[in-house]
Amino acid sequence: MKLSLRNTRSAGRGVLVISLWALGSTVAYTQEPDDDVREGRALYDSHQCWQCHGYEGQGSVAGVRIAPTLYPYEAFARLVRHTNLMPAYSPNVLSEEQLRLIYAFVQSIPEPPPLEDIPELDFE
Amino acid sequence: MNRDDRSCPEAQPPENSEQQESGSVNRREFLSSATVAGLAAASVGTTDKAAAQQVASNESAPGALPPTAVQEAMESEIPAGYSAEEAREYFVRNPGSDFMVDVIKRLGLDYITTNPGSSFRGIHESIVNYGGNQAPELLTCVHEEQAAAMAHGYFKVTGRPLGVLCHGTVGMQHASMAVYNAWCDRTPMILLAGNHLDATERRAGVEWSHSAQDCVRVVRDYIKWDDTPFSLQHYAESMARAYRIAMTPPMGPVAVVIDGHLQEAEVGDHAPELLPMTPVQPPVGDEAAIAEAARWLVEAESPVIVADLMAHDQTGVERLVALAEALQVPVVNQFGRTNFPNTHYLAQGAAAVAQADVVLGLELFDTWGVINTLRDRVHRDAVRRARPDARVISIGTNDLFTKSNYQNFQRYYPSDLAIAGDAQATLPILTDAVLSSMLRSRRATNAERETRWRNAHASAREQALNEARYGWNASPVSTSRLYAELWNVVRDRDWALVSDDNLQSRWARRLWPIERHHQYIGRSGGAGLGYGAPAAVGAALAHRADGRLAVNVQRDGDMMYTPGAFWTAAYHGIPLLTVTHNNQGYHQEFMHLQRMAARRQRGIDGSSWVGNELRNPDIDLARIASAMGVWTEGPVTDPDDLGPALGRAVEVVDGGEPAFVDVRCQPR
Repeated sequence: MKLSLRNTRSAGRGVLVISLWALGSTVAYTQEPDDDVREGRALYDSHQCWQCHGYEGQGSVAGVRIAPTLYPYEAFARLVRHTNLMPAYSPNVLSEEQLRLIYAFVQSIPEPPPLEDIPELDFE
Repeated sequence: MNRDDRSCPEAQPPENSEQQESGSVNRREFLSSATVAGLAAASVGTTDKAAAQQVASNESAPGALPPTAVQEAMESEIPAGYSAEEAREYFVRNPGSDFMVDVIKRLGLDYITTNPGSSFRGIHESIVNYGGNQAPELLTCVHEEQAAAMAHGYFKVTGRPLGVLCHGTVGMQHASMAVYNAWCDRTPMILLAGNHLDATERRAGVEWSHSAQDCVRVVRDYIKWDDTPFSLQHYAESMARAYRIAMTPPMGPVAVVIDGHLQEAEVGDHAPELLPMTPVQPPVGDEAAIAEAARWLVEAESPVIVADLMAHDQTGVERLVALAEALQVPVVNQFGRTNFPNTHYLAQGAAAVAQADVVLGLELFDTWGVINTLRDRVHRDAVRRARPDARVISIGTNDLFTKSNYQNFQRYYPSDLAIAGDAQATLPILTDAVLSSMLRSRRATNAERETRWRNAHASAREQALNEARYGWNASPVSTSRLYAELWNVVRDRDWALVSDDNLQSRWARRLWPIERHHQYIGRSGGAGLGYGAPAAVGAALAHRADGRLAVNVQRDGDMMYTPGAFWTAAYHGIPLLTVTHNNQGYHQEFMHLQRMAARRQRGIDGSSWVGNELRNPDIDLARIASAMGVWTEGPVTDPDDLGPALGRAVEVVDGGEPAFVDVRCQPR
């Protein structure tokens, strides 16, 4: 389920590449992200979630994979605020609204290609 | 040589060349008669291959080239047009540093890494002209940290130490960081420190600034032994002792000060003697304790083996496979070295420790950290990861030698059975004890265990491949894609990774089949930056003789400490494929700053860049490497461009040169 927190502005369809000039980070989406996703991405970047979870939420040894979304929002929020698997981000530094926007962005990250479509991962 | 001889080498000059020849022992005659059976093998036998090579090397020593006619004339005659008095004033026929080179040749040092300095100009000349710059060959470095780190990387591939020749003062200070890494990583090297102890013979100015009463003091906390020889005989004995101590587990760096006067003065009438040496066998664990350990392992329901700085060579890998298969017990390889093939079904993740009732630790850097973890919270509390009833057996050399000041020995853990001994040397005895004490009923459980671990291994492999897909098309390039693309250019070659992948989410270990000891050489040891590039160049040099493709995944922050290593690779024609993990910052520190800001509820909205980023201006790593004479490409930002770039780079490496591809990557 995709959360919609704000009014969205649609501006056409097709593949859109979001260029984040500050980070030089790009990712291909199957449809244009709405404002929530855009704002969520900006928050994801400025709060530096990507340091541990990667620009596409793919995870690393420093932080678990969070995209494509594996959790309902409640579990996601608990991970951020309470589990102590990561620094606890209290509402004083990351409001509920901001966290929901970040969640919206994480939800929008598409599935990667299937394994059989990636010849470089054929280790046989 | 006595003190008087040292201070006045010309105090008793022969009248003429004839008297010179008859009045002293001719050095070359001495050397030719000094072929002492068994003089070989300073190597300690922990590395069978290295020991064999060492013996072979010593059998063919001394390695000094035959003198040229000019050299003979210089050494035995007064040059035309000079009086005997002038000749004594101007020329030296038998400098002490030539003998120093003979000792080094006897020890079988393949190379000596150096950044040139006046405090060792005597031995510099002897290595080049007397020794013919062969075994040892000088490797020109542009920083002593680089020189020491190259020796670090070289040893981890060959099992043979290098010499590191540097100023005892400023050079040793520069080298100290890399020496600390080697100490933590149990890597031997022989530091040769130039110094001028006799104040009355120092040239004014810099020679005073480059002299010290105790120049090794700066590194003494993290080397095994050092000495300041007062005579050439003393030097010969100290070098032999240094080599032996360095190579006896736990191995580590040693230092010998080579006094400037001792290098440059005449040997004198009493020629020093080369010494016979016998190999030192590594310490083996107590037999009764090993039998007890075997009993625990056989009787355990779910034992696990954890290995870190264990295997010295492929023999160690094979011995661990034999033990693991005998018990059908999972092996958690912490990859301080390649201890176990990651393709073997018994290779398992750290989670296996949590289920174990007996944990066998082999040369663990941190036993406490295997059993427990310390949570990074406001109040740091320890949490036991292992079962409460798990018993721990440790086999290793940690307790045989350590020092106090630097705390790299980690938190104390009272193992239930602690066996002091080199684990690789002890393994065959332990395996024999296991096999002889295993009853038929116990053997019957092996098949069941094998099925379980085969399934777990296959599942983990499938999961790793699946996880590698995420972020596949992202830019900056994901670290999984970096290693997958790299694999496709090395897969059909004899390859070796000469860097560690800890900060790239361990993708090499998760994806690449690592089965040979030389294919992955572990970490820096002390986590001091500046290790990566020079250690990779040293390791690549070691692989060059075997025609192996050496691959270095180079972190950007680390590279900025010692970029000159790439010049050394270009200058000496060392083939090496370097690919950067360029995340444009010190990302470990980003995360620490984030943690502090979150803990203090101040937030990190943009502020974590301060002090941590390597942007604005962006560092053009490819141009840096290019300026060092290396073929380069990049920065690569589009993941689809990476594979072709790597293909072009490998063609360059195949031609015997280093190549460098800068890749803008994800943080981890």
